[in-house]
Amino acid sequence: MECMSLLGFGACAPDSEFRAGLPFPAFDIDRDTIPPLLRRRSSQATQMAFSAATVACEQAQRSPKTLPSVFASVAGEIQTTDLLCTELVKPDGVISPGAFHNSVQNTAAGYWSIAQQCIQPTSALAAGGDTFAMAILEAWCQLACLGGELLLVCYDESWPKYLAPGQGEPAFACAMVLAADAVEGGVLSIGRPQLGAETFPADWESLAASMPVLAAIPLLNLAAQGGETQNIAISPAASGWQVQISPCSIMQSSL
Amino acid sequence: MTKHPHLPPVAVTAYQCVSAAGDDVEALYLSLIDNQSCLKPLRLFDIPFETVVGEVTTPLPDIRTNLKEYDCRNARLALKALNQGGFRSDVERAIAKYGASRVGLVLGTSTSGIYDSENAYARFLSDGVMPGDFHFLQIQTAQATAEFLQRELELQGPCYGISTACSSSAKALGVAQRLIAADFCDTVLVAGVDSLCRLTLRGFHSLQLISSEACRPMDINRRGINIGEGAALLLLERPSADNAARPRLLAVGESSDAHHMSAPHPEGAGAVLAMTQALRLAGREVGDVDYINLHATASILNDQADARAVKHLFPNSPPCSGVKGLLGHTLGAAGAVEAVASLLALERGFLPGTCGLEQADPNCPCPVIASPRLDIAPKLVLSNAFGFGGNNASVLLEVA
Repeated sequence: MECMSLLGFGACAPDSEFRAGLPFPAFDIDRDTIPPLLRRRSSQATQMAFSAATVACEQAQRSPKTLPSVFASVAGEIQTTDLLCTELVKPDGVISPGAFHNSVQNTAAGYWSIAQQCIQPTSALAAGGDTFAMAILEAWCQLACLGGELLLVCYDESWPKYLAPGQGEPAFACAMVLAADAVEGGVLSIGRPQLGAETFPADWESLAASMPVLAAIPLLNLAAQGGETQNIAISPAASGWQVQISPCSIMQSSL
Repeated sequence: MTKHPHLPPVAVTAYQCVSAAGDDVEALYLSLIDNQSCLKPLRLFDIPFETVVGEVTTPLPDIRTNLKEYDCRNARLALKALNQGGFRSDVERAIAKYGASRVGLVLGTSTSGIYDSENAYARFLSDGVMPGDFHFLQIQTAQATAEFLQRELELQGPCYGISTACSSSAKALGVAQRLIAADFCDTVLVAGVDSLCRLTLRGFHSLQLISSEACRPMDINRRGINIGEGAALLLLERPSADNAARPRLLAVGESSDAHHMSAPHPEGAGAVLAMTQALRLAGREVGDVDYINLHATASILNDQADARAVKHLFPNSPPCSGVKGLLGHTLGAAGAVEAVASLLALERGFLPGTCGLEQADPNCPCPVIASPRLDIAPKLVLSNAFGFGGNNASVLLEVA
C-alpha cells in the first residue's frame, strides 16, 4: 500500500471557546447522532465519538454500517470509571451494572456497532502520548493487510482533575474515514507512518501534551486548509512518529 | 485443503504464562492434564459476597527503581511472566537479531492497573488527595503495562494497548500479525495481562454473573463465572528457517455482534463471523480444525451462544472444551492465556478438558469434552474470545 486516502473527517469539541480557536470545522455534541435510548446513559466520551464519527461518514458519503472501526482514546470512559472507583471504596458503595459495562474502553466502539448495526470488527486502543500516532499506525496496518476502508475515531472526554494534574483537558473527538491507496474522492493522501525528526507544531504542543488526542490537529488542519506535500508530526511525545501528507493525486488529476 | 492465505502466518517462537495454575507454562501444562480446579476463595481483598477466584498467590517481583512509576499489580504479573523460563532471553535474542526498533509490543488488558487505583482512591477519600505514588498514565490507562514492558526490555518499536474487554489479548495477537505483515516489525511481544480487582468482581456481581462456587462451563447446572488473573506472553516472529519448527499463528478473525453491550447474540452470529473470518484469512476450511478452545465462561447465555455458533459453522464439529473452570476468566488476558493453552495442546499433543463439566447442557449443542484427551494430538486449533460490546475474536493456531 502506497498511501491511505482521507475520505472525510469530523471533529467535536464541547468547549465553545476552544472550538472557536481550531483551524478546521468542529462542532458541539450533536445529540441527534445518539440513539434516544442511549442519550441519557452515555458519557461525554461516547457522545463526542458518535458526533465526530457521524460527520466523518456523512462527509465521506459512506454508510457507517459497512465500515470496520478503530476507536482510540487515552483514558476511555474515565468519568464512569472514576465514579465506580469512588463507590468501590465506600462501605455502602453502589455498583450499577450499567455503569460497569459502560466503563470498558470499548464502550463507544460497542455502542457504535450496535447503533449502526455494523457487524464489522471494531477495536479500542490506547497508547498514552502516542495514542493518535498508534491509531494512525493501526489504521495503516488494517488497510495494508485487509484493504478496503475504515472509520478511525480518536477521542477523550475531560479527566477528573486529581488523576493527572494539569492534563486531561479540553475534551475532544475527531473521526476520519480512510481508504487503502489513492481513491477517487480523497481529501488528503496520508503516507506510511514512520519515525523521524519532524517536531510537533509549537502552537499546539502544550495543548497536545495535556490532551494527547489533540495530536490530530496538524493533520486535520491540512485536511481542511489544503497545502503542499509535507511531513507532519503525529505525536506530541518524544517517540517521533510522523507521516507525509500530500494532496490527493486522483482528485488533482480530475481537476 | 489449504488455499492461499490472505495474510502471511507468523511463528510463535516463545510463550509463557503466570496464572492460578502456577508460575509458568509447565505449571499450566500440568494443570491442564490434571484438570483439577485452581479456583479458591479470594485473598487479595475483601468483597461482600461469596465466590472463588483464579488468584496468583505466589510472590510477585519488584519493579526496578527507575520504572517505579509503573509499579502496580498488573505490571508485576507481567514482569513475573517475563522472568519465567527463558522468555526474557528469547526477547533479547530477537532484539539482537532484528534491532530494538523492529520489536513491537502489543498489550491486551481490560482493567490495566486499576487494582492499585482502587487502593489510591481509598486514600483519596480519606486524605482528600491522591497518594504521591499514584501515576494515572503509568498505572491505570490501558497502555500502562505495555509501556512498562517496553521500557523494561528497552524495545523501540510500536507500543500500544488493546482494550476490548474479554477479547483484548486475542485481538492483540491480530494487531501483532498485521504489524509484521505491514513490515513495521520483525517480531512483536504480545502480552495479555489482567489482575484481580474490586471493579470486575463487584461489577460482574452487579450483573448477577458471578458464581459463588467453582464455575461449571457448558454444564446444565452452571451458575455463572469466576474471575481470574494472569499474564501470558507470546513472542511472534516473521517466519524463517530458524523458527520453522515453531507453531504458527495463522490468523485472528474479528467481528461485532451489533446486538447488546453485555449479552451475546443469542445464536452466536458474531462468533460465527469471527471464526469464519479466521479461516478465510488463513485460507483454511472448517474441516481442517481439529480442536476448538471455547470461550465458555459458564454464564448461562454466553455458553449457549458459543455452542450454537460452533454448531452452526461446523456440521461435524471437532472436540471442544473450555479451561475457565481451571483458571477462572482472566478477562482481557483470556485470549492470550488460552492461546498459550492451545499452543501447549498443539506442541505436546493433547486436548484440554472442561473442568467443572459434569452433565452437558442440551442447549449447548457442541461436542464438549469433560476430561483431557491424551490420545488426540491436534494440528489446527481455533481459540475463541468474546467480550462486552459484542466484540469477538477467534485465533487460529497451527502446529509446525
